[in-house]
Amino acid sequence: MRVSLQEIHKSFGAVDVVKGLNLEIADGEFLVLLGPSGCGKTTALRMVAGLESVTAGRIFIGERDVTDVLPKYRDVAMVFQSYALYPHMTVAENIGYPLKLRSVTKTEQDARIREAAGKVHLEDFLDRYPRQLSGGQRQRVALARAIVRRPSLFLMDEPLSNLDAKLRGYMRSELKRLQADLGVTTIYVTHDQIEAMTLAHRVAVMNKGVVQQIATPREIYDDPANLFVAGFIGSPPMNTIRGSVGDGCFVLPEGRIDIGGYAPAKDVILGFRPEDARIMAPGAGCVHATVFACELTGNETIVTCTLSDAQVVVKMDKDFDVPIDAPVGIQINNRKACLFDPATGERVRA
Amino acid sequence: MISPGKKTLAQRLFEPKSVEAQALVPKIATYAVLLFWSLVVLFPLYWVLVTSFKSESDVFSGPFYLPFIDFQPNLDAWRFMLLENNTLRPYFNSVIVAVASTGLAVLIGSLAAYALVRIRFQVTLASIGCFLALLAAVVVAVAAAQVPWPVATAAAVVLFVIFLGTIGRRFRLSVGNNDIEFWMISNRIMPPIVAVLPIYVMFQHLKLLDTQVALIATYTAVNLPIVVWLTRDFFAGIPLDLEESAEIDGASKFRVFFTIALPLVRSGLVATLLLVLILAWNEYLLALFLSNANAQTMPVLVSAQNTTRGPQWWYMSVLIVIMIVPVIVIAAFLQKHIARGLLVGAVKG
Repeated sequence: MRVSLQEIHKSFGAVDVVKGLNLEIADGEFLVLLGPSGCGKTTALRMVAGLESVTAGRIFIGERDVTDVLPKYRDVAMVFQSYALYPHMTVAENIGYPLKLRSVTKTEQDARIREAAGKVHLEDFLDRYPRQLSGGQRQRVALARAIVRRPSLFLMDEPLSNLDAKLRGYMRSELKRLQADLGVTTIYVTHDQIEAMTLAHRVAVMNKGVVQQIATPREIYDDPANLFVAGFIGSPPMNTIRGSVGDGCFVLPEGRIDIGGYAPAKDVILGFRPEDARIMAPGAGCVHATVFACELTGNETIVTCTLSDAQVVVKMDKDFDVPIDAPVGIQINNRKACLFDPATGERVRA
Repeated sequence: MISPGKKTLAQRLFEPKSVEAQALVPKIATYAVLLFWSLVVLFPLYWVLVTSFKSESDVFSGPFYLPFIDFQPNLDAWRFMLLENNTLRPYFNSVIVAVASTGLAVLIGSLAAYALVRIRFQVTLASIGCFLALLAAVVVAVAAAQVPWPVATAAAVVLFVIFLGTIGRRFRLSVGNNDIEFWMISNRIMPPIVAVLPIYVMFQHLKLLDTQVALIATYTAVNLPIVVWLTRDFFAGIPLDLEESAEIDGASKFRVFFTIALPLVRSGLVATLLLVLILAWNEYLLALFLSNANAQTMPVLVSAQNTTRGPQWWYMSVLIVIMIVPVIVIAAFLQKHIARGLLVGAVKG
């Protein structure tokens, strides 16, 4: 079902946590709210769930205004970071709890519990108690409880963050598959950019209660709207160097980068991804720099160079190696570079 | 840095360790202390039990300790108390009053405790002041001006509602949950003897003196603060996620309380229930004032055995034995519910 958040504000006393949030989520869409901790993403999710009141603004699920509707009448299902399983109930009772509250007949309850448990591979654990399950199994019980009543909206609050890295990767793909199969609109909150990039149809990057950019993962990565998004997404994040503009080029003391003759302002910040640059022999490339460190991660080599008073990071092949303090040239792919206004941090476009 | 073999004095003194791991002399000392304390606890029970099988002469020419050796046990006291004397009526009074008041106190008290933990109350001082002023006005009107009390009460309620809806909104100074909790506990700090006479007069006016209802209502009110005080910490220990999850799953606040919160605090609730039940079962002072022939409870009957002919120890012992037995049975029955670790597996720890 379509979800719409219009000018949502939330304050706790004098603290404004969410400041004018606007989101339009299409039917069946997987939207990820991504941001550092304390950016208001969980509060936004809790407002959609009805666990938190809205200071100002309206929330629509489908055509219905649910701003002042109790959580139980919103027809949403939520998966908590802590799983929130009922410890005194078996797995089957946990999954069936939403059905029991809706007075579904016992035979239909059983059938639907089995179906939901089957979707998350829990058929053999229905009689166990949550304390007898591993973390991954508990996580799947929470998922089954969310899908069992076929809600019009899924809300997930960092559901994978308590799992170990290996299991997290596995559950991520399961989750993506499950959402695609069920086709239920999903809002997913995370601070993990890998989860956001892999799961989302669209990502909304939030910072300090304000949405910075809403776009597809590819767009967020290739075409960041401002310096915050550029610095938050990517590992290592986008390099940013400050310089001036002259003769249609980005000018540094160490060299100049052709930016297609476009000169929006005197001072700009140039951003480029570590993989959009190459380390060259000294004298070659468009700028010259010295090597600060060279780290082999296994499948690639990360070279950190000192350029002006900043450091830039370049990703190279795993066979690449240079000694520390060696002078090098850096060739930057200027078609993929982005320019930002140093005063506002906003993107400057041609 | 303490080497693993050497322990500090404090560690050696206070670290818990198994009796089995002790050396012989400390082991004997430990068991001697335990034995001594067991005697302190158990001997009065034994003494009451054997006394109930003694006759008057056995008691006064005693002390005799061992039945069949020191004295010949007989069932005279039991026969008199159970068949000839009217013991069953106070006994059933006690059962009904204790069970009903405990049930009510635990139900209302746990609801109140849950609300105090999960809902933020803001009662303005002005509304409290208005309430107290109207209460005083009602009392004065009924006592001095002979206004019928239903009329006075209805007028006060109307005035209170009008106050809340109009000038009551202007006041901001308010009390919070902590103040409400403290007020509840303070009800219990006050010695009950202070309130006995007003309570007596109140039930006299309601024509409820010497009824079970009066005792049930009074015991419930007296035990409520204890229930609230004890159970609020149990409810505060429940992860909020669980209740929020249940709410999203479609449960109302009451449903969350009864299907999620209550089962999770079961062990604490059982302990509270047991404590309140015993308090109600043993209550003497209020029962003495509020009951007479009809609603008399066991503690009053026991003390009544101290007659002009002196204390009738053998009769008293019979009554005490039949008072103790159900408590022991219930405690044994409920003990398995007083288990810990119920919340394991609820949320990732």
